Amino acid sequence: MAKRRSGAWLDRQFTRLAVLPTTVTMLCVFGLPLLFSAYLSFQGWSAAQGLFAGKFVGLDNFDDLLHDPDFIGSLGITFLYTAVTVTAELAIGLGIALLLNIDLPAIAVFRTCLVIPMMITPVVASACWKLLLDPGHGVINYWIGEHIVWLGRTDTALAAVAVVAVWQNAPYVSVLLLAGLRSLPHEPVEAARIDGASVWQMFWHITLPLLRPYLMVALLLRTIFEFRAFDNIYVMTGGGPANATMTLSMFTYLASFVRFDMSLGAAASWSMLAMSMLLCGFFIVTIRRRDTSA
Amino acid sequence: MSALNYVGSKRGKLVFAGSVYASLAALTVAFLFPLVWVLGLSLKTRLQVFADPPLFVWSPTLENYATVLQRSDFVQAFVNSMVVSTGAVMLSLCVGVPAAYAIARFPFRGRTFLFFGLLAMRMLPPIAVLLPMYILFSKLGLTTTRFSVILAYTTFSLPLVVWIMRGFFEDLPRELEESAWVDGASRQAAFVHVVLPLIRPGLVAASILCLQLAWNDFLFAAVLTNNNSRTLPVLMAAFTGGDSGTDWGGMTASGVLVILPVIIFSFAAQRHLVAGLSSGAVKG
Repeated sequence: MAKRRSGAWLDRQFTRLAVLPTTVTMLCVFGLPLLFSAYLSFQGWSAAQGLFAGKFVGLDNFDDLLHDPDFIGSLGITFLYTAVTVTAELAIGLGIALLLNIDLPAIAVFRTCLVIPMMITPVVASACWKLLLDPGHGVINYWIGEHIVWLGRTDTALAAVAVVAVWQNAPYVSVLLLAGLRSLPHEPVEAARIDGASVWQMFWHITLPLLRPYLMVALLLRTIFEFRAFDNIYVMTGGGPANATMTLSMFTYLASFVRFDMSLGAAASWSMLAMSMLLCGFFIVTIRRRDTSA
Repeated sequence: MSALNYVGSKRGKLVFAGSVYASLAALTVAFLFPLVWVLGLSLKTRLQVFADPPLFVWSPTLENYATVLQRSDFVQAFVNSMVVSTGAVMLSLCVGVPAAYAIARFPFRGRTFLFFGLLAMRMLPPIAVLLPMYILFSKLGLTTTRFSVILAYTTFSLPLVVWIMRGFFEDLPRELEESAWVDGASRQAAFVHVVLPLIRPGLVAASILCLQLAWNDFLFAAVLTNNNSRTLPVLMAAFTGGDSGTDWGGMTASGVLVILPVIIFSFAAQRHLVAGLSSGAVKG
């Protein structure tokens, strides 16, 4: 009898019990840490102190941040890096997806080969490219026949780290867009063909507008993930030379875990969070509005 | 349905198909060259690696692999990576699958909150969560343990599991559980005995995608581990630290050994790749 009653109780509470572990985990590994870092960003605190032993300093940490030339520089570099990598990834990814969407024998072989770079551990991919770009023994310099220190020059380092990101993630975009292309309805293209539209007209006026939701998703995801770029930069340049590749993630990492200025790190973290939330919000609003107006 | 239909003559079709193959072949060479070259480096002796001009033909050697596999730090990191990634997958599945089921099937208070919480977990930059996490974990004495890394990995694997599984649950016809309920089964019994066996493919897909992300992660592991608990990406970064060093053979051989498992899992899950990639952004 008691067993039955507990069974009924379980049954009634099923939904609540099913979401409880996820809610608790989310609060422990995400909610509480973020609240704590929000608190920390208004404190003067060092790692030697107790958790709540810091001193309230108001907006001083944010003030320090805005007067830190490295931080201000990293803002510009992050936006430049994000814009360039995302544009290149979308352009190359769309190109690959359009080619792979053509029905020809054995095209699946190319599809399989072209997705390999996206699967690779980013640290290993970056290490590989570091060897290819090596000034003395790298194969790239051998081909160009020059002795370029790609990762040691302020004018080439950012491009060199961006190449790795594009190499890994253009395939990712192509997989997303290819799925989009496969799911498009055939009728509009057929109708346009009967009306005598050229291939280019059909692409520009039919395929591209139909593909827009997928392009937006790819744009959102790539922007969010390039904004946080870290692994390739850590491995290839460590933020150098002369801060030429100092992205926001790299700045926050160095402030928090190398200089151990936790309060400044918390302020930098929250600046990044705020920017990511704005980006996400902007994209979500854009996607929703397009969806409802179309 | 193919672009081939738009090209008129038979000769035009051949030229078109030829140019498509040529562009794809060029792209494939460009995208795979870095990997092939590195694989080549890993099969060269020290002298061959630094030969000038670079060798394009040589008799390959496995000595770099033999050396790497004898290194105790590599083997330790390999074990750590396995433990941490499978641990993260198991934890996320146990925690996330029931929640995904509830989100897909039952309306409840706080559903929107949970939804946006998980979205934020996946979308916000990990470095921003890592700093407070590191402080809190070190006060609890968890840092440098593999468990701390497993917990940290739930920030990305839990949202992924919930999203993928929610899609699978929504695709499952409701009638299956409803008939079990009518027959007197409780919700938990119907979930365990009727629903779970049917969504086994979903569980496999979600595990493989999480495994891939966990295996590839560097940032969390770099901060939360020490020399004993570090994972493969952290060890790789230490190899390449500063100057690229002179042991290119060892470095490339270990790189190949790191990416081999992940390429194998990924091909196993290729069908489900798209669901995982777009998770959280398409539905909503």
